Amino acid sequence: MAVFDTLGISASGLMVNRKWMDAVSDNISNINTVNPTNQDAFRERFINAQAVDYGSGTGGVRVATAEFGSGEGRMVYEPDHPLADKDGYVKYPDIDLGDQMTSLLMAQRAYQANLAVVERATNAYQAALRLGKG
Amino acid sequence: MTSPLSGILPVGIGAITGVAGAQTGVPQAQNADGFASVLASSFDQLQSAQKTSDTLATQAATGDLKDVHDYMIASNEASLATEMVVTIKNKAVEAFNEIMRMPV
Repeated sequence: MAVFDTLGISASGLMVNRKWMDAVSDNISNINTVNPTNQDAFRERFINAQAVDYGSGTGGVRVATAEFGSGEGRMVYEPDHPLADKDGYVKYPDIDLGDQMTSLLMAQRAYQANLAVVERATNAYQAALRLGKG
Repeated sequence: MTSPLSGILPVGIGAITGVAGAQTGVPQAQNADGFASVLASSFDQLQSAQKTSDTLATQAATGDLKDVHDYMIASNEASLATEMVVTIKNKAVEAFNEIMRMPV
């Protein structure tokens, strides 16, 4: 829609940040996922954002790719674990909770920023339409 | 007697050519983004905005909605588009009434 373009552009920003929050929640929920040492550990999820336009004039952002981190993981000595190998090791994913919380904070704030744009743009459009009511 | 008849005939021909000119003039006005086409395009926009909003409302009701903000923005957009079309319509009616009130 050509008239209310700002809303669509902000919606794309909301979408990307929502997906980022999805990725972070996936990472956090799997932070204690244990795998046997002969398999890959849970691989951290990353969201790769990219500008839509590159000169086309449409504007906005989109998720170009969802990347995966290394499956190498951390070797933890837990001989009592049912998945432990013969030396007593299991694999934990190599995810830092501090990093994830920081990303979550950034994603949440960016989401709110986009919502603020939607709100202000709506107010601006409404103010413009009030001109016609006089 | 001949002079009034000869006076009438040119008027008739003039009127006919005038109508023909008006008929060819109407599509030209539409091509050149006249008020009618502006109104029609804003109605199209309103329809598409409301359709999107309706689809998302159905998805929200059935639990298929992926993004909450998508529905909120679509309904916001539909409401803005409605407001815009209503404003344009009111202005058009106002202009028409103004012309009708013109003393002749």
